[in-house]
Amino acid sequence: MGLGLLASRTLRSSSRIFHNNGPTTHFLRTITSTPDLNNADASASAVQQPDLPPRNPVGGARVHFPNPEDAIEVFVDGYPVKIPKGMTVLQACEVAGVDIPRFCYHSRLSIAGNCRMCLVEVEKSPKPVASCAMPALPGMKIKTDTPIAKKAREGVMEFLLMNHPLDCPICDQGGECDLQDQSMAFGSDRGRFTEMKRSVVDKNLGPLVKTVMTRCIQCTRCVRFASEVAGVEDLGMLGRGSGEEIGTYVEKLMTSELSGNVIDICPVGALTSKPFAFKARNWELKGTESIDVTDAVGSNIRIDSRGPEVMRVVPRLNEDINEEWISDKTRFFYDGLKRQRLNDPMLRGPDGRFKAVTWRDALAIVAEVMHQIKPEEIVGVAGKLSDAESMMALKDLLNKMGSNNIFCEGNGMHPNADLRSGYIMNTGISGLEKADAFLLVGTQPRVEAAMVNARIRKTVKATNAKVGYVGPAADFNYDHRHLGTDPKTLVEIAEGRHPFSSALKNAKNPVIIVGAGVFEREDKDAVFAAVETIGKNNNVVRPDWNGLNVLLLNGAQAAALDLGLVPESDKCIESAKFVYLMGADDVSLDKLPDDAFVVYQGHHGDRGVYRANVILPASAFTEKEGIYENTEGCAQITLPAVPTVGDARDDWKIIRALSEVAGVGLPYDSLGAIRSRIRTVAPNLLELDERQPATFSTSLRPEVSQKVSETPFTPAVENFYMTDAITRASKIMAQCSALLRK
Amino acid sequence: MAHIMLKKLKVPANSGSLEEARSRTFEFFRMCCRSIPHIMEIYNLYDVVTPSQLRSAAAAEVRKNSNVTNPKVIDMLLFKGTEELMNIVNQSKQRHHIVGQYVVGNQGLVQDLAAKDQDTSNFLKNFYGSNYS
Ligand code: SF4
Ligand code: FES
Repeated sequence: MGLGLLASRTLRSSSRIFHNNGPTTHFLRTITSTPDLNNADASASAVQQPDLPPRNPVGGARVHFPNPEDAIEVFVDGYPVKIPKGMTVLQACEVAGVDIPRFCYHSRLSIAGNCRMCLVEVEKSPKPVASCAMPALPGMKIKTDTPIAKKAREGVMEFLLMNHPLDCPICDQGGECDLQDQSMAFGSDRGRFTEMKRSVVDKNLGPLVKTVMTRCIQCTRCVRFASEVAGVEDLGMLGRGSGEEIGTYVEKLMTSELSGNVIDICPVGALTSKPFAFKARNWELKGTESIDVTDAVGSNIRIDSRGPEVMRVVPRLNEDINEEWISDKTRFFYDGLKRQRLNDPMLRGPDGRFKAVTWRDALAIVAEVMHQIKPEEIVGVAGKLSDAESMMALKDLLNKMGSNNIFCEGNGMHPNADLRSGYIMNTGISGLEKADAFLLVGTQPRVEAAMVNARIRKTVKATNAKVGYVGPAADFNYDHRHLGTDPKTLVEIAEGRHPFSSALKNAKNPVIIVGAGVFEREDKDAVFAAVETIGKNNNVVRPDWNGLNVLLLNGAQAAALDLGLVPESDKCIESAKFVYLMGADDVSLDKLPDDAFVVYQGHHGDRGVYRANVILPASAFTEKEGIYENTEGCAQITLPAVPTVGDARDDWKIIRALSEVAGVGLPYDSLGAIRSRIRTVAPNLLELDERQPATFSTSLRPEVSQKVSETPFTPAVENFYMTDAITRASKIMAQCSALLRK
Repeated sequence: MAHIMLKKLKVPANSGSLEEARSRTFEFFRMCCRSIPHIMEIYNLYDVVTPSQLRSAAAAEVRKNSNVTNPKVIDMLLFKGTEELMNIVNQSKQRHHIVGQYVVGNQGLVQDLAAKDQDTSNFLKNFYGSNYS
């Protein structure tokens, strides 16, 4: 007997003295795989212990009792818990603070009950029951750590591992794999099967999801996700028994904007991220909790980085915004952060080529030019990825220079920044779930804000809400009625002449969603007036319910309007002599005079750079701390995950430095100071992670005399995968758009 | 030649007094000076620096520690200096190390400092320095 073994035996026996007054004959674990079976009476006596230590629900779960009378009491390991009727045994155990091992159960998907990992013992039932599928009944006595339950789990593990390959060392899931963890916790330490393992042909699901189907344990989570949440019937289960496989019935790619989420829900390494394959192991990554800014949803993400490189992006739970999903754009655009980056201040020489200069020289030149130009000819444009701090600084700088021509791209030239309810999503994203009729005006949520679309789909699926859509022909993944393509249809609905009006009228909580693409239209005010009439006629705006929503397109829009980034004249670009582009790439500069001086401050060499005279390199949102407000009016903050590239600086710092060089020094030189300045303008931007609803005031709007035109609505987003400088630089997004076009 | 001599170099015993340490320092500096022509040769430094510049770089390194009076510390610094010299003479370094450390110096390539920045705020000075300060 080795020394170590001796030592452990002494340790064991001494610890028994303190913790156990049961039988004292104990065996060292030798061959038998369930030692507690030999110890049955000891664990049985534990159940009768009078004083149980209080337990906390798993993951801080809270129970909501819709109806107090419906509460029932069950006993989990002898510990009584109150739960609402209709909860499953597994949920009851979670409330009691017992985490039940599971593979197929997922709280946001339907219950399949096919993995059998969640078996628990219930008193008076002859066999262990699958807790995820069994409703809890009053007075049920559930036992989660009895020898029978343990033996059942061990058996299930053994069967699962029978056909699961032993390739953890080369598996990307290794380290965050449910199967790995649970076989450590519940599995037997040796196998008894000596036959060959089965193997399954890998499927091609496109450029995002890598499959190793031999690893699949047939939990069907991915199938249920695709059909229930993503709304595409692409995946399915083929074959029976040991021939069972997950696949697309015919050779087909997964055509969903949410397909990346199957990577997260797959409990094993069968579905993993293709761009991340073999790039890093998850335990070497540093996670930074941040916000996605590539659309106006502000999905909560975790940026996993290694050294100076962003390795992957995964979702974070936020029930009010993205639940636990993110769109494919959010998940996979990150390789764009490594391409086309601007890393040195640059100046365009007389020969039209850029040459690198020092910050000193670059700022001195910009300051000098700025002073030679009449104030009203100075224009500032904030890009769609700008944070609130830098927009505040830019506005202050321009104001100090005497100009008031500043706007944020995407907001159009006549933004309505006075009434907050006129540009945010008044129901909130989670509030959409209460709606029972939707009218989508010139917006295509599936490409404009995939997470909002997922909410609408969830609602439509749960409550059979009716969806009417006015806009160009588009692809929806839920039942809808295409009512028309131009604003005339709106007038018809407003006047009650349209068949859809009755659907709206009968709805309890009707919702109207106007796309931000409308901001750029000539007849924007008339469209909004028509929408408001519809709202008034159908009780959309009531004291307890404001269903008049605007769905914004970009991460910067809401904050820009809150901060009052409104141009003084709508012809400012045509008459500009000095344009300051702060990451603005999509603003049209065709009408800009040829002799205008253009400064581009940004992180990517994208469209804005073509016309620029000076380039000031800035940091991307993964590299700085910044406040972004999403479309429902919830301010959130990004945190730096990786260092900046080259000689780049944070956006607000560049503007602050420029102001000093230009001799109009801004009065803040820290993030804290600039935020107190924001507090005086838009205090709601500092209420982080808390949705700030607009105060009701739609009725204050001036009367509009404008008539709606007959120009049909145009799609606001041409290509879901490439909407901004970062995503346009990404190779993965380019592959996706190539597939999209096919 | 100097570098052959250096190869046989031993770690000397501790200096008994400040005087002894001082004379060792001079001895070390002379050794540096004697190896400079060879260094110029093996690293091919003729087009970037002259021997006298290298000598003053070496002298500056020694002067950096002119305030040290503890013989034990001086011994330690001498030891490190000898080690560095050995590394250079044995070509354990590469040309860019020499150029970076002794020719260009710690200032790096940016040398348009001073004068202009006199009346700027700390913020701007830090801004020119790096993004993190
Ligand atoms: S691929 Fe993954 S999620 Fe889909 S059934 Fe297999 S194990 Fe489950
Ligand atoms: S989790 Fe209950 S059967 Fe799979």
